[in-house]
Amino acid sequence: MMEIDKEKCVGCGNCHVICTMGAIYLDEDGKSEVNQEECVECSTCYRVLRNEGYMPWFVRAVRKVLSFFRLGYLAEVNVCPTGALTPPELKWPRSLRSNFSDPVAIHPGTGIGGRGTEEIKSNDVTGRIRKGEAGVVVEMGRPGIGAYFRDLEKVTQALSHLQPLFEPKNPVTLLIKDQKTGKLKDEILNEKVLSAIIEMKIPLEKIPEILKTLEVVQKDIDTVFSVGISSRCLPDGSIPHEEWVRKAGYILSPNGKTNIGLGRPRFQED
Amino acid sequence: MTNTLHRKGTPESLKNDYVIFCTLARGVNSEGSTPKIQEFIRICQKYNPVNMGDARHGNILMDDVDIQKLLDQKGDGEGATAVFNDLDTLRKVMEDLIKADLGVSINISGLLGDVQSCCRKAGIERHSAEHSLGIWGAKDRLPEREILEVNTLCGHGMVSFNLIRKMVEYVKLRRLTAKEAAKTMAKCCECGVFNPVRAEKLLEKMVKKE
Repeated sequence: MMEIDKEKCVGCGNCHVICTMGAIYLDEDGKSEVNQEECVECSTCYRVLRNEGYMPWFVRAVRKVLSFFRLGYLAEVNVCPTGALTPPELKWPRSLRSNFSDPVAIHPGTGIGGRGTEEIKSNDVTGRIRKGEAGVVVEMGRPGIGAYFRDLEKVTQALSHLQPLFEPKNPVTLLIKDQKTGKLKDEILNEKVLSAIIEMKIPLEKIPEILKTLEVVQKDIDTVFSVGISSRCLPDGSIPHEEWVRKAGYILSPNGKTNIGLGRPRFQED
Repeated sequence: MTNTLHRKGTPESLKNDYVIFCTLARGVNSEGSTPKIQEFIRICQKYNPVNMGDARHGNILMDDVDIQKLLDQKGDGEGATAVFNDLDTLRKVMEDLIKADLGVSINISGLLGDVQSCCRKAGIERHSAEHSLGIWGAKDRLPEREILEVNTLCGHGMVSFNLIRKMVEYVKLRRLTAKEAAKTMAKCCECGVFNPVRAEKLLEKMVKKE
């Protein structure tokens, strides 16, 4: 688990600010402490805060002298003055936190970095989403709140009734114990991640049902999620899922992602 | 990865924010792709991106990363990203990429209509497209819209709400300029999709508002 060396920590508070989950706080001794329940092991604190390498006694002495003159000590915001952060060595199932939250980490199950798959980004080559299909991504915990797998399970269970094809290479799919029920592995339910993407493929006409299901299940969870919908464009460049989403009464973002189709070998549909 | 799909903002502010990616399909065209990715980086570099990087090696706004280092350390199958501030530059990059015919998948995040018009001007039709349907669930746990606009500039959400608030405070106290504060935030975003110029403008707007 990400830990802070109490011998080194001078309580500057920089790690509190940088922490993506706001999981670091000052203890009664004025040293920083990680709330292990809330920490998602993203390692942003360790990666971003430059170790200035000062001796803790030196920083404390400077502080004392400054306080004598009623002056404060303010370290630059992107440093840990004494290198007090200790990177973790994680064991299953806690290792999932890092696998999903740290963008530098490679998922052992998929061999891919990040939280999902290449999705439509390589659709011109893989043909992952084909004519008549829609790709749906539900990114749990995003933006900035984080998600427990117990909340994620509520969503996979609700969606499983519609029998979508959960993307086999997605790291969340690998954690689903039973695709018919959407149940996840029991031992992971109390693990928290910065975000995790449920990724699936459905026929275009199922879009309204999927959105209706998400509309209902969103009331049962204690976090946020961001939804994305994709499809293979028609020869004239129009986007087939637009009509289905509008028909279902939802608003599409003006921005999004476009695969411009330069990948080779180009996937050929029958 | 949904990364840059959910960037928040008004159409006006999104007009100055385009992210271009090169992606390899693992097991299909990733083998031997290093020179192609390097060429993608060189083409983007020619047009002065405001940020550039990848999750493995970091972004060019970090203290120990530069474009040469990105080029030298690239390996097969590793993608790359670059951020541009205007459509005209994006169009030029796209045209160069079409000419180079690298055979790698190219994706662009930004206003879909604008990207579509760029494709057509360059003589191609888009292949696939993805929309965001916004944020669902316990939205009462979210901070104000401006904070979300900055937070979503990093696709992995590595720029914390607290850091954004702190940067607003520092700019207000003149401990940092908006540009310096934006660069500090950009260092948290490993992949290099964070747009520091847009972040700078958003910070200035928040400081004025407060």
